[in-house]
Amino acid sequence: MKLRPELLIFTVLSLTGCATVAPQQRAILADPTMQFDADAKHEAALHHAIENREGSMGGTGVSGGGCGCN
Amino acid sequence: MQLTRGRGVVPTLSLAAALVALAEPAHADDVVVLDTSHTLFYEAPTKTHMFVYSPSADVQASPWTWLDVRAGWEADVVSGASVATKAGSAYGNIHSPDVVTAASVKDLRNMGRGEVAIKGDTTSLTAGYAYGTEHDYRSNSLHVNARTDAYQHNTQFELSYARNFDQVCDRVQASAAVLPSEWTALEDSTGCFTKAAAGRTTRDIGVDTYEASWAQSWTPVFVTQLTYSAQLVDGFQSDPYRSVVLGEGIKAQEHEPNERAREAVTARFAYYFRSLKGAARLTLRGYHDTWAIDSGTAELELEKSLLESFRVMLRGRVYKQGGAVFWSDDYTGGAPPLGPKGQYWTGDRELSPFWSWLGGVRLVWRTAPTRRILGIISDIQLTGSFNVTDYSYDEYTLAGVPVSNALAYVGTVSASIGF
Repeated sequence: MKLRPELLIFTVLSLTGCATVAPQQRAILADPTMQFDADAKHEAALHHAIENREGSMGGTGVSGGGCGCN
Repeated sequence: MQLTRGRGVVPTLSLAAALVALAEPAHADDVVVLDTSHTLFYEAPTKTHMFVYSPSADVQASPWTWLDVRAGWEADVVSGASVATKAGSAYGNIHSPDVVTAASVKDLRNMGRGEVAIKGDTTSLTAGYAYGTEHDYRSNSLHVNARTDAYQHNTQFELSYARNFDQVCDRVQASAAVLPSEWTALEDSTGCFTKAAAGRTTRDIGVDTYEASWAQSWTPVFVTQLTYSAQLVDGFQSDPYRSVVLGEGIKAQEHEPNERAREAVTARFAYYFRSLKGAARLTLRGYHDTWAIDSGTAELELEKSLLESFRVMLRGRVYKQGGAVFWSDDYTGGAPPLGPKGQYWTGDRELSPFWSWLGGVRLVWRTAPTRRILGIISDIQLTGSFNVTDYSYDEYTLAGVPVSNALAYVGTVSASIGF
């Protein structure tokens, strides 16, 4: 079955509109333990070392410079 | 010293960090924030070892609420050994050659970066530039990012793009060496990127990286993030120093395709357990590229707050990948999967089939007193982590000698001070 982008976008927007977390309910969502990258700078060197030893990429951002592939 | 190209644009700053919006940043009210981190990496698999020290320093200034200006520097100080000549089991069983050379590696990578972010209530635009140098490598990288919130900040969309204009040093091949199988590997980086670069040349690498993310708060304790990443690499991606034994008396510089298209889908989930005052974060990633490498990653992080100022996190990660279509442990022959694989050859263990596991722990201490420390410091965060990872190679050998003890240790300490 061929994936139709417009249907995917419509589905995503429909799903997101259904989620209603009120501002006064967001205290836990703001907790550092609920952040995917709360310590991104600290974790950057680990990601750098791991990804240079694997044949894969993706999921952690696009910026950067240099190779440092050792 | 470069080992593999195409992975040079791996991120050093995660733009996805901002995706879970409404989370109050650790330094939300600070005008200036200083960050520094120091990482030690060490691994000692069979016949080789590698030691890397990576310091970094960053400063962020926020003169107005709508503007962030960032500048930073990082480096890799590398010493160790690498495999300069790759041969496999079939060749090694007959010849028992000394083709595994523990070549000495010493290198220094420096990278400077700058970034500007313009922020609104629900949107932000970011643009940045990074310049990196090594003895044998130059990198110019531009990146832009746009993010917006919707549905009372329950939804965040983010688009990112980066373009790298990189160059790698290589040797000038003899005029008689027409075929790649006649090319000789680069001996060392002497003369690279200098005016008197006799016998040296540079090869271009262009990298386009795209990323689109959707983060969603579903309930007061459950959030998800879905990310699509794509990367197009065009240029010299081989290790110029590495030779591969192709047959009797034939040893040639590693020869990988110039084009590579890569894509990945990453799903992340975070759930908060009120009774434990902690959260579980799960990451699942699938990856595919035009070199026919498929991989899967699963990572679980458990983090809990302790007292008022501490957080402790435990991490486990499992990774598995297949080999590139042109990968062979021995291009001279033997029973499958050995043997020649068409017009390309590589000795890169990262392109071979393998799996790995990782385990780690991280401790964070943060204080934000009501009165400024020394009259200027509003908050301090100290973070320490230690991770161990182990690689199990299905086919990769050093002339028939399996690689064992492929344990790597990564330790990082960092400090962040807000003013």
